[in-house]
Amino acid sequence: MTFALLLALLLAVPQDSARRSPGSARTIAIDERLAADLHIGVGDRVVLGAQPGDTGQYAIVSAIVRRGADPAEVARSEYKIRLHLTQLEELIGYGDRVDRYAVATRSEAAIADAQARINGAAFGFHAHRSRDIAVQTSATFAVVSRFHRAIGVITIVASAIFLLCIMLLKVDERRRDVAALRLMGISAGTIVKGVVLEAAGIAVFGSLVGVGLGALASWLVNAHYQGVYRTPLRFSVVSGDIVLLAVSLALALGVVAGWVAAKRLVSVPPLSLFGR
Amino acid sequence: MSTVVDVRDLVRDYPMGEERVAALRGVSFQVDAGDYVAIVGPSGCGKSTLLNLLGVIDRPTSGTVSINGERVERLSDARATEFRLMRIGFVFQRFYLMQALSARENVELPLAEAGLVGAARRARAMALLEYVGLAKRERHRPSQLSGGEQQRVAIARALANAPALLLADEPTGELDARTGREMIALFERLNADGTTIVVVTHDEDLARAAKRVIHMRDGSIVGDERAR
Repeated sequence: MTFALLLALLLAVPQDSARRSPGSARTIAIDERLAADLHIGVGDRVVLGAQPGDTGQYAIVSAIVRRGADPAEVARSEYKIRLHLTQLEELIGYGDRVDRYAVATRSEAAIADAQARINGAAFGFHAHRSRDIAVQTSATFAVVSRFHRAIGVITIVASAIFLLCIMLLKVDERRRDVAALRLMGISAGTIVKGVVLEAAGIAVFGSLVGVGLGALASWLVNAHYQGVYRTPLRFSVVSGDIVLLAVSLALALGVVAGWVAAKRLVSVPPLSLFGR
Repeated sequence: MSTVVDVRDLVRDYPMGEERVAALRGVSFQVDAGDYVAIVGPSGCGKSTLLNLLGVIDRPTSGTVSINGERVERLSDARATEFRLMRIGFVFQRFYLMQALSARENVELPLAEAGLVGAARRARAMALLEYVGLAKRERHRPSQLSGGEQQRVAIARALANAPALLLADEPTGELDARTGREMIALFERLNADGTTIVVVTHDEDLARAAKRVIHMRDGSIVGDERAR
């Protein structure tokens, strides 16, 4: 059984300076941030103490654990070690007491039963589903995520207005071509369809390029901040629903932009388009 | 011989401030099937206005225009567009080919609009390009063609739906002398093969090649002669 100790309890000492009871040392696991900062590896012996200055106990590092991607812990600079519960009790000087512990069930169906049994075991016991805790602790991040999505939508709308301006200018450049098409007998509907298709193509192509750039930027952001905070947490995700939203919105706005530009042009008599 | 164009008492004037400027002052003439007519005259004499009315892209102030027996001067925009597609071929001074399309695709445009699909459309376009001597250039885009070749593609496009009337507005205006002569020869061949042609031009050589020359001045016909 292992236990996660939230506060740093580790007094690291090099193997050569270890002085007491090496034969009685037990095994612990430390997180990779601690391992990296103190240059500790698997097999190293360390001294653990509950308070600075304690004589402490020897322990051998048997594993280096990678932290989970928990947004709530990203900015915390504390270290983590995992040790046997009896070892922890011995270390801190009193036993039979924990603040939190995790229970893994064999199946999802057993969760409710386990929860009820723990809650009914004693007064003051509160069992929560990990999913509920994740929702509660992620509330702030959900707000931030919505905020980012709003910025994204505003950006796409602004881009669509830009696209509309480009379409108006591009279509305007083709006044004589459109006039010639009308004189040839090409209907206004066909011309509108052509322009709308072109605008839709530009919008989809542009949004896919944007998604590509977004994915690249996302990769760079993740690579940078995962290094800074030493966490596997993904800070930026170009998810499927975001891609779908971006492409759909761009397509819809592109179609509207093309339609407005084309309708504006075909409403002008061909001779006027020729400048006569 | 049937009449393709029948124009009677055609008047077209334009508002200019509070006054009206007359571009055409009661023009009447007929063009028979298989004829080749050149309309000549100084700039501003009304020949382009007349061509616009024959092409059903403008409406007269008064008078009537019949093309192939159908009155066209008051057609709705949609009906006029359809009429132009099926009955009239336009050749412009500046070609107006779609730059993004190949020569064959340019010729296919009016065919596609007319509802011709697939292999039949390609075959028709290729036959027309063959006729104007550009079958081997079918995949070339307009930017890869000379001015004369572009005008040939434009003529093939104008003939796509076998129009009753081919209208040309200064078709040699953008071409050098040699290419202009080639174009004149092509128009003669078209006419010899049965196409009715009305061409507005300043080019004396092109006018001389026509069977009939209509002279205009100040919005009126001042001369109408059979050249040969």
